[in-house]
Amino acid sequence: MLKSMKPSLLRIFWLARLTFLEAVRQRFFAFLIVLGAAMVLSSFAFRFLDFGHGELKFIADFGFGGLFFFGSILALVMTAQLLFAEIDNRTALTLLAKPVSRTEFLLGKFAGIWIVLGLFVFVLSTLLGVMLWGRWQELVILAEQTAKVAPQFSLEGVFSHALLQWFRLGVVTSMVLLISTIARTFLFAVVVGAMTIVAGQLQWLAQEALFKPAELNPFSHALLWLASRLLPNLQQFNIGDALALDPSAVATGAVSAAILSGGFYLIAYLFLASLTFQRREI
Amino acid sequence: MWHRATWLLAGTLLLGAGVYSESSWQKIRPSVPEIGRKEIEPSLGQGVLLGILGGLRNIIADGTWIRSYVYWEKKDRAACEALMRTACALEPRSRYFWENTGCVIGYDMAHWEIRRRGGYNKVTREIQDEIFKKYARHGLTVFEEGVKYTGGSPSLLISAGQLSEIKLKDSLLAAEYYRRAAESRGAPWFAYFLCAKSYWEGGKKVEAYLWYRKQYIEKLLPMEDGSPDDLNHLRYFEEELNVPFLQRIPRQKWEKKI
Repeated sequence: MLKSMKPSLLRIFWLARLTFLEAVRQRFFAFLIVLGAAMVLSSFAFRFLDFGHGELKFIADFGFGGLFFFGSILALVMTAQLLFAEIDNRTALTLLAKPVSRTEFLLGKFAGIWIVLGLFVFVLSTLLGVMLWGRWQELVILAEQTAKVAPQFSLEGVFSHALLQWFRLGVVTSMVLLISTIARTFLFAVVVGAMTIVAGQLQWLAQEALFKPAELNPFSHALLWLASRLLPNLQQFNIGDALALDPSAVATGAVSAAILSGGFYLIAYLFLASLTFQRREI
Repeated sequence: MWHRATWLLAGTLLLGAGVYSESSWQKIRPSVPEIGRKEIEPSLGQGVLLGILGGLRNIIADGTWIRSYVYWEKKDRAACEALMRTACALEPRSRYFWENTGCVIGYDMAHWEIRRRGGYNKVTREIQDEIFKKYARHGLTVFEEGVKYTGGSPSLLISAGQLSEIKLKDSLLAAEYYRRAAESRGAPWFAYFLCAKSYWEGGKKVEAYLWYRKQYIEKLLPMEDGSPDDLNHLRYFEEELNVPFLQRIPRQKWEKKI
């Protein structure tokens, strides 16, 4: 079984490599990584504008916000753009004429984009982690001098959050790939993809409403039930504040539960995308 | 047949992911107190959507707070409270938002309502008192909620005590808040005296003395300066209660002779 899978995995690897190189060379990627880094760095200058939050909390929030916002844009636009570029330039036809299956093509695209997103998340998280750690050191010394309680900080928490964000972006990428395999135009894929991300971020509202079934009529209940199964709950990846600044507030196994949940959605969407891509005319 | 089976498998995978996501969310939900369905409902259309979506909650909470001040200046009770509560919901660990929301509701809004009803000359004293108490109780619920989210902030408990004392004229309720403040982590030195004073004014003079004395010996006396002001207050209580000399707090070597 494994032996027969090896050539297929090799093809996926080469497709992923090509996609990665193509994506990294794009100006859009460079632009967003610079913008994200600028946002993380500027949080240090803007921290005086806040009202009574902890200083580290403000910096972390700014950084995580940048990661969330620019990461989502990158995943959305890059996924749709790379797939449609292959289709519009007819390179997909050339590739699929070789012994490359459509599923391998799609998985290669996904893996390449996911690695680029991993790079994006790693760069921004490292920058944020260094900034937070540096400021935390200063605040600990200051707290000792003024006999105050020093704030909590966990560098490990920043990287756990980075891992969560990488999975969140993976789910977004697989979702956009699914939409792109159905969509006829790039614009349609981007608009519907953006709406799906927003819906995914608000999916928790449906889940929480389902916990109180007495408040719902049968139609709303059925609708919310379906929505909460078809759409991923993207909010469960946003626990960066707690992970980095108050690790005790995070339940044991919460990170792995979120990763597992993201993993399930990722596989399900990729499987669906591969099925719809089989039927697509290129 | 095979084709249908793959579609069925894909659907089952998606539904399975959805079912698992429900249980994982229950595990993760307590780590995200920033988002509450009830709190955000009134202000979803007021630019707070991004804060609920994901990052940048602090900045959006700050912006919402600034916007709430526009309504505070206009004395628009409903809009002001909705936006202040939204700022609290977006950033529930911030003592600042809870404290100021509680104070605005507890102290300011009663005056706005009295003015709206025609002013202090038109509204009778009894109705004015009722209005003050109604808003003070509302302010106290905000403080209580803030205490829950901030992990028992002593500042919020002291603000709640002050509101109970000033607006509700309930010394015993105030004493309870001050006691909770004094017993919480990072309690300010004056919380002990405020609690004892409130118990004293509420008629529980012996309890006030015994509690204050215990706190003084255990927490205040070991402090660097020995807390002379608190000892002074305790001496006053001992005088008033006619505590026998041998049962009083032993004289400290640095204590001034009366």
